[in-house]
Amino acid sequence: MLSKVTSFALAGLEGVPVEVETDIQSGLPGYELVGLPDAAVRESRERVRSALKNSGKNFPARKVTVNLAPADLRKEGSYFDLAIAVGILAATGQLEPTYTAGYVFLGELALDGALRPVAGILPLLISAKAAGYKKVVIPAGNAGEAAYIEGIDTYAASSLSQAIDHLSGFAPLPPLPVARYGAAIAARQEKFDLSFVKGQAVAKRALEVAVSGSHNLLLVGPPGAGKTMLARCIPGVMPAMTFEEALEVTKIHSVAGILGEEGIVTSRPFRSPHHTATTVAICGGGSRTVKPGEISLAHNGVLFLDEMPEYHRSALEALRQPLEDGVITVTRSGGAVTFPANFMLCASMNPCPCGNYGSADRPCTCSPAAIRKYRARISGPLLDRIDIQVEVDSVKYDDLVSTRAEESSAAVRARVEKARAVQRERFEGREGVLTNADMGERELRDFCPLSRECSDILRLSFERLHLSARARSRIIKVARTIADLAGEESISPAHIVEAVSYRTFDREQV
Amino acid sequence: MPSYTKEEKAAVWLDSFGLDLTKKQKLYRLAGGFYPLAARFHALRKGIEEIVGAERAAEMERSLTAQGVRSLLEEYAQKGVTCVSYPSALYPEALRHIPDPPLVLYCKGDTSLLGTRKFAIVGSRRTRPQTLKQTEKFAAGLARAFTIVTGLAEGGDTAAALGALAVGKVICVLPYGFDYVYPACNADLLAKVVQKGLAVSEYRPQETVRNYHFPARNRIIAGLSEGVLVVSAGAKSGTRTTADSAFAYGRDVFAFPYDIGVTSGVGCNALIKEYAKLADEIVDITAAFGINLTEAAEEEPPLTPAERAVLDAVGEETAHIEEIAARAGIPAHELAVPLTMLQMKKKIVACGGNRYSKG
Repeated sequence: MLSKVTSFALAGLEGVPVEVETDIQSGLPGYELVGLPDAAVRESRERVRSALKNSGKNFPARKVTVNLAPADLRKEGSYFDLAIAVGILAATGQLEPTYTAGYVFLGELALDGALRPVAGILPLLISAKAAGYKKVVIPAGNAGEAAYIEGIDTYAASSLSQAIDHLSGFAPLPPLPVARYGAAIAARQEKFDLSFVKGQAVAKRALEVAVSGSHNLLLVGPPGAGKTMLARCIPGVMPAMTFEEALEVTKIHSVAGILGEEGIVTSRPFRSPHHTATTVAICGGGSRTVKPGEISLAHNGVLFLDEMPEYHRSALEALRQPLEDGVITVTRSGGAVTFPANFMLCASMNPCPCGNYGSADRPCTCSPAAIRKYRARISGPLLDRIDIQVEVDSVKYDDLVSTRAEESSAAVRARVEKARAVQRERFEGREGVLTNADMGERELRDFCPLSRECSDILRLSFERLHLSARARSRIIKVARTIADLAGEESISPAHIVEAVSYRTFDREQV
Repeated sequence: MPSYTKEEKAAVWLDSFGLDLTKKQKLYRLAGGFYPLAARFHALRKGIEEIVGAERAAEMERSLTAQGVRSLLEEYAQKGVTCVSYPSALYPEALRHIPDPPLVLYCKGDTSLLGTRKFAIVGSRRTRPQTLKQTEKFAAGLARAFTIVTGLAEGGDTAAALGALAVGKVICVLPYGFDYVYPACNADLLAKVVQKGLAVSEYRPQETVRNYHFPARNRIIAGLSEGVLVVSAGAKSGTRTTADSAFAYGRDVFAFPYDIGVTSGVGCNALIKEYAKLADEIVDITAAFGINLTEAAEEEPPLTPAERAVLDAVGEETAHIEEIAARAGIPAHELAVPLTMLQMKKKIVACGGNRYSKG
């Protein structure tokens, strides 16, 4: 007898419907699984066999053929287990075949018949909904993320028998209640707050400007100066994510299998890959099915590259295109997948190989050539995409600042949100431009006219501080953000000068 | 091609074999001159062989034709190199009197600078940013009375060359031939020096850089100059050899004073302890030579009250931005504008790590 049930396979961030066809024939007992399964899918036989037995059902002692259609799509992962089990039950008559009609089954089986959570439920549900499916059975462990999808009935079963009892109408499960994003976002708590960072007034100000205009940021300072701590505060300073943004992030994190208990990602992601990370780990890839990389996991959040010059050159250079486009297209022989990758880059590095350049108490032992070589590890084109470069230092100012109350992230965020609102209004109707950092030549012309005074001071700063010529548009963009933070309509010379002060790295060393 | 006398041509020819200085001196003494050495080569053959060996003597003999010497000089001329040799009238008098004067100075640029008053400014590669600014100022100031002699190393030498270039009188002494540039990052600077000043080397164009060339080059810097200013020197710095040579030649040696614990200044303080004169103003140097440089009235750029307050707060020593903020009574995050403006007005120098000093 033949049965057909529906499941979904993951291709990039999209779900593709997969028909699980099960046929039972007379013959020697055996089990054949076809349809380009990978090892995890092929091993489902043992899981399904034990799960059926331990759920009080029989695995047929006949020849079982399972086909996953379309047959030419590679199937990966363990989420076909439930569909295969249900298909066998339907084919052997242990479950009325009509009960499975209109359902999508997703989930991995444990040997005792329990349903284990799987990665990628959220994008699969979104695709199932788009494909017109109305009912989905998922593992109870994935209920958190599934609850945010409206317009589709999701049933979270904790075991195979619970799923069967639901299908047969013996003990129907209630569809998952739709979760409210507002409640989740209100409950979110950032682990790092700017008020924990003592001193560092310059770096904090630079951070505020960077986040306001979504400019990329480079922190230069000796080891132990607090670069990492500052960087970790960035997500908390950024405006809260909208539901759409949160859903995008959750989708990616779901596919990567790093979603937490809460179900939806409410805090902006902060990803800090180790400097040994390969280009594929950072950009995404994989041999057969393509997985998102760190830059996609940092989508709508922060990608923090600690000790930037230590990263593989190729990995750093690969960042350039996504930094411009906000997406990355990974092409493999099996096809191309596009992942969103709209992140704020925050990098840190030492000022010189020994780390002590500019330190008062520890002398730097590096020759000028060694310093130049170290800094040259970050290529010009990449440095070009980092609008703000600021020095962080390791001074102990306990006696200077212990009395001063440090500003909290929330206070800074309020100013950032105001500046962002100004930008949203300004760039209304401009395709692809959301913040000052996104401005192209046209926007620079339209929104950043410089007074004679401003041009003079800009020219003077190039002359006197030996800035490289390509810093010009970066300085104007940052000046625009500083003006927005100050709530001013036009850029003033003071804004230009402050922006110039954030180009420490551009200045030629004598 | 510049015109050379017979004696000069012979000197350049003798220099083209890369012989040790002592061997060249012996040959000179043997023949009683450079031209006699060439003219009486066959008669002197035995003595020459004793000094340079049979093989080298044969090589010298082969090249000793009118055609050979002319092509050598043409080759140098093609490279834009002028040979100022010991017998030349252009050869600096002061350099003749050191114990081991170079036989030929290969020159690129304005050779007339060799006849001017010269003063050397040297420093180590590891020089603090604020000292670099001071060096530039001193070089620019002294360049009004002297031609500044320096090396082409990064750090102190580069700052001295840049400061002097602003006025236009600079001589850079290189420890390698003109076919090479080292450090590569100073290729632009070398081109500028050749264009507006003079680059000098005792090495033939095809000779590359060797570590023992540096102390040898330093003796030329010292020998060319009436005095030497050491702007920075670590405990074991090469600038030390310049100062020691200068002292041995009876030149005035000056050094910048440094604070205790500044590694790039240990050598300077040691020099002051031993024989160098402390120089913290240009007049300390000019007075020693009886020169009266009228201070060119520097245009004081107007400062805003905030800039004035910040400048006062920077103080004499390197100050951290938080210290400046506390002293000036301005929050640190608002200091970006006055600090950057003061840098543009050349009142202060950024020393890295959010530290600033007057400069």
